[in-house]
This record gives sequence, structure tokens and C-alpha cells, in this order.
Amino acid sequence: MASVSKKSLATRIVYYVAAFCVFLFLISLSVFYFFSKQSIEEKTIENARELTQNTVLKTEQVLISSGKILNNYRWLIEKNIQHPDSMQNYTRRVLEMNPEIIGCAIAFKPDFFAEKGYYFSPFTYRSNDSLVSTQLGNKEYDYFLMDWYQIPATLKKPYWSEPYYDTGGGNALMTTYSMPFYTNPKGKKEFAGILTIDLSLEWFTDIVSSVKILETGYASVISRNGTFVTHPDTDIIMNQTIFSYAAEMNCPELRKIGRNMQAGKTGFEDVIINNQELIVSYKPLKASNWTLAVVFSRDEMYAPLRQISLVLVIIVIIGMTLMIIVVKKVVENQIAPLKSFAHSTREIAEGNFNTVLPVIKTKDEMKELHDAFEHMQTDLKTYIKNLKETTSAKEKIESELRIAREIQMGMIPKIFPPFPDTPEIDLYAMLEPAKEVGGDLYDFFMIDDTHLCYAIGDVSGKGVPASLFMAVTRTLLRSVAPNQRSTKAIVNKLNNALAVGNDSSMFVTFFMGIINLKTGEMNYTNAGHNPPIIINGDNKTEYFEITQDIPIGLFEDFDFTENTRILSKNDRLFLYTDGITEAENWDEVLYSDERLLECITGINSLEPSEIVIKVARDVVIHVNDCQQSDDLTMMSIIYKGLKK
Amino acid sequence: MKHKTFLLVTIILAGYFANAQQSSLTFTPHWLPQAQFAGYYVARDKGFYNDEGLRVNIKHPSASVNATQMLENKMADVVSLFLVTALKSRANNLKLVNIAQQSQHSALMFVTHKKSGIEQLKQLNGKRIAIWKSGFDEVPKALMQTNNYNVEWVPILSSINLFMAGGVDAMTVMWYNEYDQIINAGKNPDELNTFRFSDYGYNIPEDGLYCLESTYLQRKNNLRKFVKATINGWEYARKHPEEALDVVLKEMKKAHVPTNYTHQKWMLQCILELNLPGNKNVEKGELSETDFHKTLNLLKNGSYINTNITFDKFYKPVLK
Repeated sequence: MASVSKKSLATRIVYYVAAFCVFLFLISLSVFYFFSKQSIEEKTIENARELTQNTVLKTEQVLISSGKILNNYRWLIEKNIQHPDSMQNYTRRVLEMNPEIIGCAIAFKPDFFAEKGYYFSPFTYRSNDSLVSTQLGNKEYDYFLMDWYQIPATLKKPYWSEPYYDTGGGNALMTTYSMPFYTNPKGKKEFAGILTIDLSLEWFTDIVSSVKILETGYASVISRNGTFVTHPDTDIIMNQTIFSYAAEMNCPELRKIGRNMQAGKTGFEDVIINNQELIVSYKPLKASNWTLAVVFSRDEMYAPLRQISLVLVIIVIIGMTLMIIVVKKVVENQIAPLKSFAHSTREIAEGNFNTVLPVIKTKDEMKELHDAFEHMQTDLKTYIKNLKETTSAKEKIESELRIAREIQMGMIPKIFPPFPDTPEIDLYAMLEPAKEVGGDLYDFFMIDDTHLCYAIGDVSGKGVPASLFMAVTRTLLRSVAPNQRSTKAIVNKLNNALAVGNDSSMFVTFFMGIINLKTGEMNYTNAGHNPPIIINGDNKTEYFEITQDIPIGLFEDFDFTENTRILSKNDRLFLYTDGITEAENWDEVLYSDERLLECITGINSLEPSEIVIKVARDVVIHVNDCQQSDDLTMMSIIYKGLKK
Repeated sequence: MKHKTFLLVTIILAGYFANAQQSSLTFTPHWLPQAQFAGYYVARDKGFYNDEGLRVNIKHPSASVNATQMLENKMADVVSLFLVTALKSRANNLKLVNIAQQSQHSALMFVTHKKSGIEQLKQLNGKRIAIWKSGFDEVPKALMQTNNYNVEWVPILSSINLFMAGGVDAMTVMWYNEYDQIINAGKNPDELNTFRFSDYGYNIPEDGLYCLESTYLQRKNNLRKFVKATINGWEYARKHPEEALDVVLKEMKKAHVPTNYTHQKWMLQCILELNLPGNKNVEKGELSETDFHKTLNLLKNGSYINTNITFDKFYKPVLK
């Protein structure tokens, strides 16, 4: 099947159609052959039986009528037996009246007439259309020992002799019908001699040879002792008996048939001679105890059927070949547009939407395919056009967003360490927006020589609106902070500035602090932001326990709380947005405050940058390539105290 | 001088004609052509006679004139005869001599239809037995006479038809010939009873080659050549039975004698077996003196012959 599937559709269709047709034909031929064979066999056998019967009737008629002739003359001879010289006239008369008889003898027993001597047998035979009368019997032709005389004389009953070549009389292959005749001296019936007529077997051969059945079928006559009297092979006539022939052909079945014939049976039997299966139909010629057999070949019986079958097979082979060619052509014609469609599809796939489709004039499936293709072509054109526009627009937006990101990123300080000249403090921060632009922010700057201001925030929402709000918040922080030392005042100002005209109700969670570098005092305000973590020099890590106010930008004039804490030397602050603690992995498990605290714990020897990177890596491990859903922002500050 | 020249010419001419006469020889087998005589046909067709400088004419007897008559009438120079037939003829003053003995055993037998109930030889007493008119009747008659069986002998020619038609109770047959003809006429062996003469003390040698004593004396050299070539013919037939059969069948067809391959094949096998000495103390082609006396006594006892015949006068082996 694999090889079939590689072939063309047309070939495949032809293959299946042809296979099915061959199958149908073989079934039909088998059925035809079987029934025809049966019918032929029945008819031929019936013909053979009739032929046998008819030939037997025809031949037997001659034998019976010949017998009757002899019977008719016998009484005449017996009546005139005292006139030996008249006997020759009777023999002539028999031949004159009966053209089928070629010889007639009245063979008297030895010394029947004292004056005629030992042998006395008036005999007339045909020679060149004339009748020759003579006397049979002399020392060399001792007729008393001839079968035609001796057997009926011994058995005292009529006798058909075995066929013989008569060298003394007719000098031809003949048979003699003999019948005893008697004298009746003094009322006592005494055997006087044998009355005979000779029949040429030519008439027999003529009748029997005229029998034809099938191609080489023939009829044959077999004598009482099994001798072939007639046969198409003249070498067999008189030379073979059915029994010697059976032995020569090594065919015991034929011997059995021969014995059935001798038993006067009628039969119809199969026999194999020379590897040829023959059928023998036989019937006795009761007058002479001979048998007529009609023989024909079983092979020949089926020859016409085989010829017809052969012709059928040839016709079918030619027909199949033509059918295969025609079907292949038709199918190829029908599906030819498919190739054009395939070509068009490749053209379309390569972007040539205006490629010409094949012309379909029919109104069938091919037309439907054409229409569908046309529709697809039109739709594709529109779609691709729209796609181009959309892509162009998207690319523009993406380009703008890229610029916006650069601007946003440019707004937050990114130079670390930021205050190389200020040893009391070190700081590191990182912002990774979830989209092109983000809503998180961090910032830090020195208000004066001793005060560091830092902040971290998270605008509600994401994307461009959040980024704009973030930019505003950061700008406001930078403008408000320089004149202030109170985080509360700064956040209040920020809140008021952002809340005014905040129609979209955006807000920022915000944490900011101001550290006095000299004293370590840190003021801070938490506007709804995640509490930062503090790691003191003793390596104690904890969240700020602080007042958590509302995010800024929501309510104008809200009064935020300010807290104070004294930082010890090497205290580390870690600030972050909820993007860290709420980072999700594939199982939607959050990074969590606990894991963050755990990650941070025991890092009092680390620099701020190291802390940030460590947390960032831990988050990456947690999310495990799951898409980042929120901005990630961290800031770590270490207070190193006054320089001694 | 004239007289001497005439004498010389006469001697030369006489010698020439004598030689011309000796180079031609007529042989008559004692029956019509068949495989019984395969050796002769083979010797002729294979040129064995020619090789010996002989021109052999094989002339068959007719159905009514037998071989003995042909020898007596000088229609044949050499004939094949049964030993008994030859001895009988010799006793009847036909001066013939045996120049070689071809067959060493008797092939004669009586056949009866099993359904006749004749199972033993003595049951043939008072029965009709067919026997050939043309000869070969001495041993059957001797056998029955010795046993004091009164038999009606029915003379026949050559066919088995009288027996087949039930016209006789038994038939004298040759194992190699008529017996197989009966089988080939449809009788199965188990439907027949057979009485082999050899089983009743009559294993009398059969076919032998005979010529007149005068011929023997005049043409000894040619007879020797004839016997030598004939023996070669038989040896060739033994070695090439199929070829020998072809020769026989051709001969038979020529003579319009009904025959067939099957029967002649059977006959050749039988004859070749009969030609072998078997347990007899003779060489191939020799006449056993014991057999000679046995046969002679048989004939004397049967009153066939009254005169004495000596082995030396009767048997003139030309090959020795």
C-alpha cells in the first residue's frame, strides 16, 4: 500500500477499479466455466450414447438381415440336397440377390457325396464386379478345420466368425456367418454341412468410420475375442485385441472394459491411455457378439469451452487495458484543475494573491473548489491588507513604547554606587517593568549634605497610564522634597498634587524616607506600600512595624503619618514592590512575604547590590519562566554610620 | 591335351556352380512368422548371415504344408522342427539330422477353462482336446497314451477360437504362444487351468535345426556358418529385445499375420528362457544325449516308431 500511496490519484483510482473488475471477472468466468462444463459434459455424454445406439442399430441391421438371408436359403438347400450339382447355383443366387454379400459357400461334411470326394463345397465369390464360382477344399485349404466350418459344426449353431484375412477364398478382411444345415434321410436329422456367407468388413468400416465425435473421437468395433475389427489406426485392426492393447498401454481399466464387452454389457466408462483421459461408450452387437465402442477425449470435450474462455480472457485483458487507459485519461482530465489549484496555492502562499485560478466550466465539486478558492483568495487579500496596517500600527506603538520606556528608565537614577563620596551610605536599586513601560518607581537623592531622601512606589494599574502617573509622581517628589525635611509634609504635598483632577482615580502606594547620615535618624512615611525589611547589624531581619496609610492620590488633604527610627551602623533596608512578593509560578503560587524574608535573612555581610541580585535570582527561580505579570522593583540601602 | 583342357574347365565350372549353390540357403521355421523365430530374422536383418557369406532365404510353411514336408520336398535346406517330429520323420525314413538344438525345454501345455472343473490331468480322460493338425502332436499324444487316457483329439489349425467358443474341453497350447493369445482374448490367468508337460516328466526339448543328411554331407561348411550366425542372431535378440521385436513385427505385418507388440514381447521372453539350458548338462545349441534317448524311448513306448535311431547318426552338431 505504501507504494500505491506514492502513485498519482489517477493511478490509484485505476488500480482499485481494475482490481475490482478483475475480481468480478474471475468470479464470473469461474461460474461460467463451471456451469458450461457441466452442460457440455451432459450434452456430449448424451450425444455419445445416442451415437452408440444409432451406430449399433445401423450395423446390427446389416448383420441381422444377412443372417436372415442364410436362414431363407437353408430350407431350399436342405430340400434339394440330393442334387449336389444344383448347389453352385444357390451360391450364385445368393450373391446375385444380395449385393452386400461377397461370398457364399455350401460346405458339405467330408465325403457327403461319394461321387464328389472328401471335399465338396460349392463356392461363389465376387471378383471385379463379376461372380466366380469354384470349389473350396483341398489339402492346402482344409476347410473342415476353418473356424467358419469347425466351430458351428462342433457347436451345431450359427456362428459369426472372428474377422479374418481369408487366403483361400475372398482374400480380404472379412467375416463369415455360418450355419449348420441338415439332411433328413429316413426321418433322422443328420448334420450335412455348413452354409456360409462372407461379408466384407468394408461396409462395417464405412459405417463405423463415418462416426465422428468431437475432434478425434471415433467408433470402433471389437470382436468376440477382443480383436479390433475397425479402428482409425489401421495397424491396430486385426493385430491387436483390446486386451493386448490394454497390456501395451499398461491400462488394466481397459482390460476390465474389454471383459465387460465380452459379457455383452452396455457401459460408459473413463479410461486413461497415453496420459489422455478417454471416455468409452460401448454397446453389444447382439447378433454377432461383437461390441461397438464410441471413444472420445475428455480434453476435447472441454476444448471449445477452453477456447471460449481463452477468447474471453483475451477480450477482458484488452478491455481492461483500454479501460485502464480511458479511466486514467478521464480521471486525469477531471482532476487536472487540481494541479493548477496546487500551483495557485503555492503562488498564493508565496504572496502572489492575484494569481489566476484555473478556469472551471463544469458545475460540480471542482467548481465548488474553484469558488472556495476564489473566496479564500479575496479574503486573504483583505486579511493581509488589514494585517499589514495593524502590524504597521503596532510597530509604531511598540516603537513609541520603546521610546517611552527609555524616557521612563531615564527618569530613575541608575548610577551605582550613587554617592561614592558619601561613605556613610550605600545604595542599590533595580526596576524591571512587566510591559514596555511600568508603573513602579524608585528614587533617591541627597537633599543636602547630610540628608538622603529615598522613595519607592507602585502606581495602580500597568502600562502607559501607570507609567505617566509614575512620571508625574517622581517629578513631583523631586520638586517638593528639596525644601522639606519631613516625609509627612512631602507625602501630603504629593498626595494633594496627585489627587487634584485625578479623574481616572489612579493612585500610588508609596514609601519614602529621609536619613540623617550623621545621626542615623530616619523619618519615613508609608502610603499604603509594602512594609520594607530591615536587617540590623546583629543580623536580625524584620518587617517595619509601621503605620500603613492609604496610597497617595486618592483623597485630597489626607494627613499622612510620619515615623522615626534610628538606624544603627550597618543596618540594611530592603524595599520592594508587590511585584516581588506576588510573583507567580506556573502553579499560581506566590513568591510571598515569608519567602522574601527567608531569602533576606542572614545577609548582613552583603552589599546592597548583592542583596538585590540575590532576591532577583530567587524570584527568577520561583517563577521558573512563568510570564512576569507585574513590575519588579527593589531597593537596598546600607547605613554605614559616621566615618571615624 | 584337348581332353585335359575340357576336364579342367569342367572342374572349374563345377566348383563355381557348387560355390554359387552353397552360398544360398533356404530356411523354414516350423510356423508362421513370430517371435519364436526372432533369432533368424535378426541374423538376416542384421547381416549376420551375409557376414558369413550366406544368402539365407526364410520361407515360412503354409497353414496346410508343414516344415517337415518342405524339407522332404527340398523346398527348404534347413528347417526348425520339434525333436519328436524330427525323430518320427527319421524313423519314417526321412534322412534328416539335427545340426543344432535351439530350445532345451518343453513349452507345451494343456489349457482348460477353470469353470469346466478339470483340475487334474486324469480328468482329461474321455475329453475332447484340440491339437494342431500341422504337427507338434507327438508329445501330447505320448503323454496321454502313456497314462492310458482315452482322448478325442480335435485337429485344429492355428486359432484359439474353438477353445474360446467352448467347442473343446481342453486345448494344446504353447506357453509362449496360444496361452498368451487366450489371455489376450480376455481370459484372466485365474480363469484357466494349465498342465505343463515338463511337470509330468515330459520336459522334451523342442525347436532344433534339421537338414537332410545329404545336405549335411554336401554343405557342412555352410550349415556351420548358418548355425553360427543364427546363434549370434539369438544373442543379439537377447541383448536388444526391443529391436528384435521390431524386426519380428515387421516380418509378421508383411505376412498379414495378426499380431501385436504385447503378445510378441511375451513370446520372445518365453523363447529366450526356453533356449537356455537351465539345469540341463548341455551347452547352448547342443542336443543333450539324455534328452535324445528320453524322447526316443517316449516315441518307441508310444509306438510312434519301431526302428532304432542312434544318437551319433541323428545328431550332427555342425559347430563341433
